[in-house]
Amino acid sequence: MPRMKDNMPTIIMGMFLIVYGLIVKTEGLLPVMKYLNTHKSMDLQVTLCLVLGGLALVGALISSSKKPGDSLFDHFFLQPLGGVVMIMVIAMAIRWYLEPLVMIMSGSLEPVLGFGVYKVLNLNYVVLGILAGVVLTNSYGIPEFAVPGVKCARFVLKMGVIMLGARYSFAELAKLGVYSVWLIGFFVLGTVFLVLWMGNLFKQPKTMTGVLAAGMGVCGVSATVAVAPVVKAKSTEMAYTIGTILTFGIICMFIFPTVGKLAGMNAVQFGAWAGTGILNSAQVAAAALAFNAVDIKTLKVAEIFNITRVLFLPIIVLVLATWFGKESGHKLTFKTVVVDKFPLFIVGFLILFAMSSMGIFSPPSHYKGKFIDVSYNDRTQVTPEEWETLNRAAGEGAFAALNPEQKAAVDDLIHQRQIAGNYDERSDRTKFDRVGRARMTQLESVLSQAKANTLTLSAEVTGAIKHAVKQVHKSSKTVVTLTDFMIWFFAFGLIGLGMQITKKSITQAGGWPIVMGVIAGTTKATLSFFVVLWLVKDVVLN
Amino acid sequence: MNENKETNTQTNDAQDDNEERALSVFSSERNEDMTALILCLITTFMVLLFTKWLV
Repeated sequence: MPRMKDNMPTIIMGMFLIVYGLIVKTEGLLPVMKYLNTHKSMDLQVTLCLVLGGLALVGALISSSKKPGDSLFDHFFLQPLGGVVMIMVIAMAIRWYLEPLVMIMSGSLEPVLGFGVYKVLNLNYVVLGILAGVVLTNSYGIPEFAVPGVKCARFVLKMGVIMLGARYSFAELAKLGVYSVWLIGFFVLGTVFLVLWMGNLFKQPKTMTGVLAAGMGVCGVSATVAVAPVVKAKSTEMAYTIGTILTFGIICMFIFPTVGKLAGMNAVQFGAWAGTGILNSAQVAAAALAFNAVDIKTLKVAEIFNITRVLFLPIIVLVLATWFGKESGHKLTFKTVVVDKFPLFIVGFLILFAMSSMGIFSPPSHYKGKFIDVSYNDRTQVTPEEWETLNRAAGEGAFAALNPEQKAAVDDLIHQRQIAGNYDERSDRTKFDRVGRARMTQLESVLSQAKANTLTLSAEVTGAIKHAVKQVHKSSKTVVTLTDFMIWFFAFGLIGLGMQITKKSITQAGGWPIVMGVIAGTTKATLSFFVVLWLVKDVVLN
Repeated sequence: MNENKETNTQTNDAQDDNEERALSVFSSERNEDMTALILCLITTFMVLLFTKWLV
């Protein structure tokens, strides 16, 4: 084996993964995993480590026993293997150890600081992954054996964007009223054109401007990755855009709830504003919860406004392909833009989105794989003890303070032992579902009031209602698994992307992208603030 | 003069293209996208098979 020495790092990593996988399998790390709250991923940890470790060892041994060749097997498997395994080891360390540790530390520091560092700085696998890549490349450097593997990063990121399509469904868009869609579309396109105009004004490279426009207009990471090949953006420009968006989001998370409260916005108005003005979905959720942790309407509206932006992604790709083509002095026909310039992987995103909307993965009305099922099912019922508690509480008049709709929903829960529509109307699916969902909403409002202490109910009663509500919230295993793939693809891709960012490239980009990002973001936030106050009253959802 | 300028821009574009391609294992954007698409469709099919159709 003449080339054994060259493959030693891959062999060591492969052996480490196999040993780690076996230790996890024997439950040797269970206490640590329970502390980190990662024990639910135990099976995944074992499978991933053993499979990857096995591949690493086999690949390294084949590589050591033969001369390097030019075959497809060499080019796409043997050469990138070392780097792929290295990035995966870093991704695993981040997902299973670093991210949970940051969450725990952030939780214990919250009483002292008054805010959660994890939430505020958005220290999830996206940021930690890029940071890990940047730190490695600018300190030790990318080891030679890993260079071909790092080159897979963008390809894997594209796979992440394709998988993203499975999480959304057209039914979500249909939930929004027509003018809400117009509102979102106006701000998405408005921001894109504003950034393009500023890029021209500040004489920034069109590659940087294009990718920043998409990131600021649509929704951060996925939009940045999606548009990068269209405007031929470099890895540094992609990472710079992601950094700008996340930094701007952090500022917004602090300012939005305070301004919203000062302006006297209602739950729906704030949800619409946060969903339009803040880019990153985790930051949108954090701002919505900071504004109003009790009324779930704020979070729901904010999330729907936020995800609807993703659906503008293909349109933005077309707009930027046209703009980039024109800026580069090429003559563009409709066919050039739509067929030649349109990235194939966005077609993949659309295929998965279409499959998701058709209900192939889970009922079409799902949102990120979660859906409400009020049909009759033994598993949807409350336990006999919970039913006893509710029945007794009703007899003692504990629900006297509820409004008539809430009271009717509780009475029906006791009557049917689960949240459902009317038994007599079970053959009319639509009506049955509508009545069941309305009852669930009433019960959720009872829980909100109890949480806000405007209603006194015993812990057992709220526990029983909470369980009943939880029972009708189902989640699709298919979408959850596809989302897991997406998360791993993004984690891998972002670590690799971080590894392509050197100090030199950051200095070359200068501070202008941040200035442009902040101006565009502030303009969008201010404009959407007034538009939402003026146009959005109470009802934005159908 | 204009012709020279255009040729220079084209050379720079080609150089930028080559530099960016050097950061990928694929020889063209189309190949990269097509491979990503096919792998994702296979993954989706397998996920559907094991989480929905076979259970």
